[in-house]
Amino acid sequence: LCVPSTFINIHFQYIFFRQVDVIEGCRLPVLRKNQENEDEWPLAEILSVKEIPGRKLYYVHYIDFNKRLDEWVTPERLDMKKLQFPKKEAKTPTKNGLPGSRPSSPEREVPQAQQKCLPTKTSIPDFQVLQQQVQPPTITVHLCFDFLSPLFKSSQNGTARRPMPNQPGRKRKQPPNCGGTDEDSQDSSDGIPSAPRMTGSLVSDRSHDDIVTRMKNIDCIELGRHRLKPWYFSPYPQELTTLPILYLCEFCLKYLKSLKCLQRHLTKCNLRHPPGNEIYRKGTISFFEIDGRKNKTYSQNLCLLAKCFLDHKTLYYDTDPFLFYVMTEYDSKGFHIVGYFSKEKESTEDYNVACILTLPPYQRRGYGKLLIEFSYELSKVEGKTGTPEKPLSDLGLLSYRSYWSQTILEILMDLKPDNGERPQITINEISEITSVKKEDVISTLQYLNLINYYKGQYILTLSEDIVEGHERAMQKRHLPIDPKCLHFTPKDWSKRGKW
Amino acid sequence: MSKLSFRARALDAAKPLPIYRNKDLPDLNDCVSINRAVPQMPTGMEKEEESEHHLQRAISAQSVFREKKENMVIPVPEAESNITYYDRLYKGELRIPKQLFHIQPLGLDNEQPDYDMDSEDEILLNRLNRKMEIKPIQFETMVDRLEKASTNQMVTITEAKLLLNEDDYLLKAVYDYWVRKRKNCRGPSLIPLIKLEKRDGSTNNDAYVAFRRRTEKMQTRKNRKNDEASYEKMLKLRREFSRTVTILEMIKRREKSKRELLHLTLEVVEKRYQMGDFTGEVLSEVTAPLAEKPVYTVPITVTNGNRHNHKAEIKIKSGGLPYHGYHHVSVKDEDPFDFVRPKKKYTRREPLCRPGRPAKRQHIVNKADIKQYDFHSSGEEDYPLSPTSEPDEENDPDGTFAFRRKAGCHYLPCLDQTSGLLWDHPELAGLDALRHRQSLTALSVPQRCVGLARRRVGRGGRVLLDRASSDLDGVLKQLDSGVFSSSFPKGLSDPQVPTQNHRTMPGSASSLTDLLSNIQALRWRFFRPRSTQGDGSGEGRTGRPSMDNRLSGGLFVHTKNSGSGELLLNPIVKTAGSTDCIISKTLDSAGAHFAASAVISAPGQVNNENKPDNTSVNGVVQPLGTSRPPHSTSTSQGGTGLDRSGRTPSSCGPLLPASHSTTPQSLPNHRGHGSAVSPAHHHHNARPSPSSLKLATMATSSLDRVPKVTPAISSMARDNHEPERLALNGISETTVPMEVT
Repeated sequence: LCVPSTFINIHFQYIFFRQVDVIEGCRLPVLRKNQENEDEWPLAEILSVKEIPGRKLYYVHYIDFNKRLDEWVTPERLDMKKLQFPKKEAKTPTKNGLPGSRPSSPEREVPQAQQKCLPTKTSIPDFQVLQQQVQPPTITVHLCFDFLSPLFKSSQNGTARRPMPNQPGRKRKQPPNCGGTDEDSQDSSDGIPSAPRMTGSLVSDRSHDDIVTRMKNIDCIELGRHRLKPWYFSPYPQELTTLPILYLCEFCLKYLKSLKCLQRHLTKCNLRHPPGNEIYRKGTISFFEIDGRKNKTYSQNLCLLAKCFLDHKTLYYDTDPFLFYVMTEYDSKGFHIVGYFSKEKESTEDYNVACILTLPPYQRRGYGKLLIEFSYELSKVEGKTGTPEKPLSDLGLLSYRSYWSQTILEILMDLKPDNGERPQITINEISEITSVKKEDVISTLQYLNLINYYKGQYILTLSEDIVEGHERAMQKRHLPIDPKCLHFTPKDWSKRGKW
Repeated sequence: MSKLSFRARALDAAKPLPIYRNKDLPDLNDCVSINRAVPQMPTGMEKEEESEHHLQRAISAQSVFREKKENMVIPVPEAESNITYYDRLYKGELRIPKQLFHIQPLGLDNEQPDYDMDSEDEILLNRLNRKMEIKPIQFETMVDRLEKASTNQMVTITEAKLLLNEDDYLLKAVYDYWVRKRKNCRGPSLIPLIKLEKRDGSTNNDAYVAFRRRTEKMQTRKNRKNDEASYEKMLKLRREFSRTVTILEMIKRREKSKRELLHLTLEVVEKRYQMGDFTGEVLSEVTAPLAEKPVYTVPITVTNGNRHNHKAEIKIKSGGLPYHGYHHVSVKDEDPFDFVRPKKKYTRREPLCRPGRPAKRQHIVNKADIKQYDFHSSGEEDYPLSPTSEPDEENDPDGTFAFRRKAGCHYLPCLDQTSGLLWDHPELAGLDALRHRQSLTALSVPQRCVGLARRRVGRGGRVLLDRASSDLDGVLKQLDSGVFSSSFPKGLSDPQVPTQNHRTMPGSASSLTDLLSNIQALRWRFFRPRSTQGDGSGEGRTGRPSMDNRLSGGLFVHTKNSGSGELLLNPIVKTAGSTDCIISKTLDSAGAHFAASAVISAPGQVNNENKPDNTSVNGVVQPLGTSRPPHSTSTSQGGTGLDRSGRTPSSCGPLLPASHSTTPQSLPNHRGHGSAVSPAHHHHNARPSPSSLKLATMATSSLDRVPKVTPAISSMARDNHEPERLALNGISETTVPMEVT
C-alpha cells in the first residue's frame, strides 16, 4: 500500500466527488468558541477519527494552541472547504515535540488570532505539490486505503502518517532490549536515549510521543467536589479510559470505575488527608510530605492524576527518587488536595521542583504561587538555590515568572539607601536571599527590563509602572508561606544509599 | 550617549548593581539599546509551545498592563465543583488536630480488600442475602482473594476452596459469579491496575505501562559514583545474609536432632535399666546385627559426647593441675554408650553417606590439630565429601574446625562399594564393624601394638586414643612393634603381596601370621609411629615423651608422657559386637607438636613411613587396599614409584620408632594416593617442614575418604629432629566387656 498515492487519491476524490474523507493528518479550520464565547476558526490538525454509531468524530489539535484544548469534534465543526491533506513527506506536525525544531522568538508578535485568520499556511501550496504528483487515481486504491485506515491507527499507533524525521541528535525511539538502558540512558548529553534516562527526572523526552500519548484518554475525573476535564494523556488502566467518568477517592486518590465502587471504597478508606507527614500548617493550608518510595500507591495515584494536567512529564519510571509535597486546604471534611509539587531527593542539576501542579478548580487563585514559594522555602532550609525542572509549560512559565518578579521586586524595593549611597545589590545576593537560581534571577531582571547599562556599568532601574504593578500584585497576594510554620529537616539522601 | 559602539562587559553576578528609579535617570532611554549586551536567558519552555498564541497573548498583555487581564489568561478545559452528593459520599467530619499529622512508617490500617463492589455485584449480593447473610466486605474479600491469586490463569474451584474459607454454597455462588464476571471483564483484572512492565522489554513502548523500575543499571554519574560499588556490596551482603539464614536453619535442624538423640538415649538407658542389662549383654545382642550393616553415625556422636564427658572428668580429676601429669582414670560406661546406641538405631542417612563418616570425623580431628599449627591449607583439600551428610555432622565440637571446601581442590566421591568384600562375611560382622572404626595402632614407646584404636582430638589439641578390645587382642599383643620391625621388612618388600593376600579373611585372622598377611594385604589399616615429620614451627622438645598405658580392669587406661607434652590415655570402653576397649589418649597442647604430626597421620591410616615404600617393608596394610581398590593400587604403585624415583630402601622408615628417627622422610609415600602430592616432596628428607605436614594430612585425608576403614594401628608420629618420639602405648588387654563411648 502506497500511502502517498493514497493521499492523492483522497485529494482527487475530494475534488471530483466532493465527498469528504477527512483522515489523520489533514488540516482544516475548525470551529471553536473562544473565551469571550465568540466563534473562531483556527486551523487544526486531525489527529484521530473514530466512528461511533451514526457519525464520525474527529480529534483535533488546534495549531498554535496548547494541546490541552484538543478535543473531539463533530463533522459540522470542520470547514471542509479549506481542507489540506498531509503532504507527501508526511510533514511533521508542529506539535510533535521536537525541541527546537521550529525556531520562534518568545517576543514574537501576538498573532491576530481572534479573527478567523488561517495561519500563514494556505492550502494552495499543498495543492500545487499534490498536483505535480497526480497520477491517474484508481478507486480501488482508495477503497483499499479506506478499508485499512483503522488498522493503521491501531497497529502502528498512528505513526504511519508521520514518521519521525531523522534529525541529528534525535532518533525515533527503538524498543530497547531488556538490559538496554545503557549509558545512553544515563547520559543526557548524547541526546539519544533508548529509554528515558533513569535519573530522578520526570521529564518526558518525548521519544515516546505517539498518537496514543498525544491524545487525552480520560473524559472526566470526579475528585471530591470537583469534576475535572483532563488536559493530557494519563496512563490509567486502559479499561477505565472508556468510562464517561473516572472516580477518584479524594484522599487516597484511588481510581474507581463507578460511584458505587467509590462509595464502597469510602467505607474502607479512612484517610482524610494525604498519607504523609504534615510539615507545614498555617490557617487552612497544610503541606504533606510523601516519600515516593515508602508510599508508592499514593505517589502513583497522585502522579496519574497529575499527568492529566502535565504535558511534558512522563510516568515511565517509578516514583522512588521523589518526594511529593501536597498542599491541602482544610475544611470539616478533611484536608483537600489543592496542588502538589514533586522534588527529586537528590538533584544533580539544582532542581528543587520536578513537577508542579495546581488542580484546575484551584487555579488562578494564588495557590500556584504558594506552591512555588513553598518549594523555595524548602530550598532555603536546605541552604541551596534551586530551579524548576525544564521544560516549563506555558502556565508554569507564567507562574514562575510572576513569582520571581514579585520576589525580586520585593527585595529591590525594600532596599534602603545606605547612608546616602544608592542602594545596590548583586545578583548572587538576590539568589542567596531567595534561593532562586542565579540564571532565573537574571532572566527575570531581563524580562522585567530592569537591567540597563549606564555610564559604564550595569544598573537596575525601577520604572513607575513596574513599581505600581508590583504593589498592585502584592495586595492581591494570598497569605504567604510562613517559614515559622515549616517543620522540615532536610535529609541527606546521598547518605541513605539509594533514595 | 554616543558611546554605543563599545561593547558592554558581561553581566557579573558578583558585582553590585546600583538601583535607580527611572525618574532619577532622565537620560536612561539613551542606553536602552545596550540592553542587548545581556544575553537573553532561555525561558525554559519548549520552543514549540513558546509560540502558542494564548501564551504570547498573555505575555504581551502582562508586559503591557503589568497585570493579567481577565480575558488574557490562558484558557484551560473547564472544571466543575458542584458535586451535590459530596456530603453524602464523604460522611463524617474531621476535627483538625492540634498536632501536625505524622504518619507511622508502617501502615496503620488493617488490610482491606482492594476490590470494591459495583452495582452488578450488589445485585448478586442481594440475591444471596435472601438465603444467607453476606456482608459487602465479605464479598469483596472473597473476590479480592480470588483476583490476587489469579495471575494469568484464574484459580480453579478447588483452589478457591482452599483460598476462601467459606460455606460451600456461598463459595460456589461467588466463584461462579466471579468467573463469569472476569470473563466479561475488559481489563486483565477486576481490580483495575496500572499496567506493569514485562521483563522482556516488550512493554518499553507501551504508553500505558507506567512506573517502571529503575533497577536495570545503577546511576554512576557525578555524586553517585559510589553507587555501583555500594550496590554490589549490598548484593554481597544479601547473599551472605541468606547464607546465614541457611546456616541457622541447619543449626536448628542439628539441635533438634541432638535433642532427639538425647531423648532416645535416655529411653535406652531406662529400658536397659528396667531390663537389668547392666552388663550390656542385651545391648550387644541387639547391636550385633546392626553392626553388620554398620551405621556410621555412631562414632561421630560418640566421639562428641565422649569428648565432653571426658573433659569434664579430666577437669575434676586433674584438680588444679593444668595439664601436666594427671591421670585420667575413670570412664563412665553408661553414658557414652548411650550416646552410641540411639545413633545406631538411627538410619537417618542414606547408607551411602555413612561410610564416609568415621573417616570424616577423624579428618576433622586432624584438621583441628593442624589448625593449631596454622596449616589450614592442607588437609581439607581433597576431602571426599558427601555433602548431604555435612550439615548434620557438624556437631558442636567441630565448631571452627568444620570442614570447608577449598577452591581448586578435587573432592573425590566416596567409594563405599569397594569395601563390599569386607562385609561379605557375616561371621566377621562384629570384628569388621570394629575394624572399620578402629585401626591397628602401634606406639613407639614402648614399642608395642595397642591393638585396635581410634584417634581423635580432645580439647586443646590433645590426641585421644580410643582403644577397642576385640578377640584379636591376644594376637595383636604379639604384634608389637618389635615384631613388626623385625619381621615385616622382608615380608613386605614385595609389592604384590596385597593382591596375593586379597582373599584372606581379615576376620579369621586368629594367628599372628594371618593378621600380618591381612595387614600386608592392605585390608587392615595399621598405624605405627614413624620417624617424625614435624611442623614448621621447629619447636624442639627435649623431653622424651613416654607413654605409660595401663589398662586397669579394662576400664581405665592412663597415659602419661613425660616431658613437655602429656598424653592422656582415656580408657574408653566400648561394646560393639565384641567387647571393645578403646583407649584414648590425650595430648595436651604443650605436646602440640608431636600431637600435630600424630594427628596428621592419625586419621588415618598408614603413616607416612610405612606407606608405599614401607608397605611392603613394614607389612603395614594399607587401608586402601581393601577399601579402595583404586587407591590401593595406586599406593602400591606409589611404592614402586618411590623406588623408581630413586629412594633408597634405607630411607624407608622401619616400624620401630627408633629407626624412624633416622629416617624422618616419609612424605613421598603419599604420592601414591594424593594426586596433589608431588613427587618433589620426597626430597624434604630429614627436613620436616610445614609442607610435609600438610602433605601428610592431605594424604591422610585422602585416605579418610575410604568409606569403610580397615582397622589399623595408628602410630603417633612425632616431631622431627627429635630423636625421641612420643609413643603411645596402648594396651588392649581388656577382655571385659565394656562400653565407652
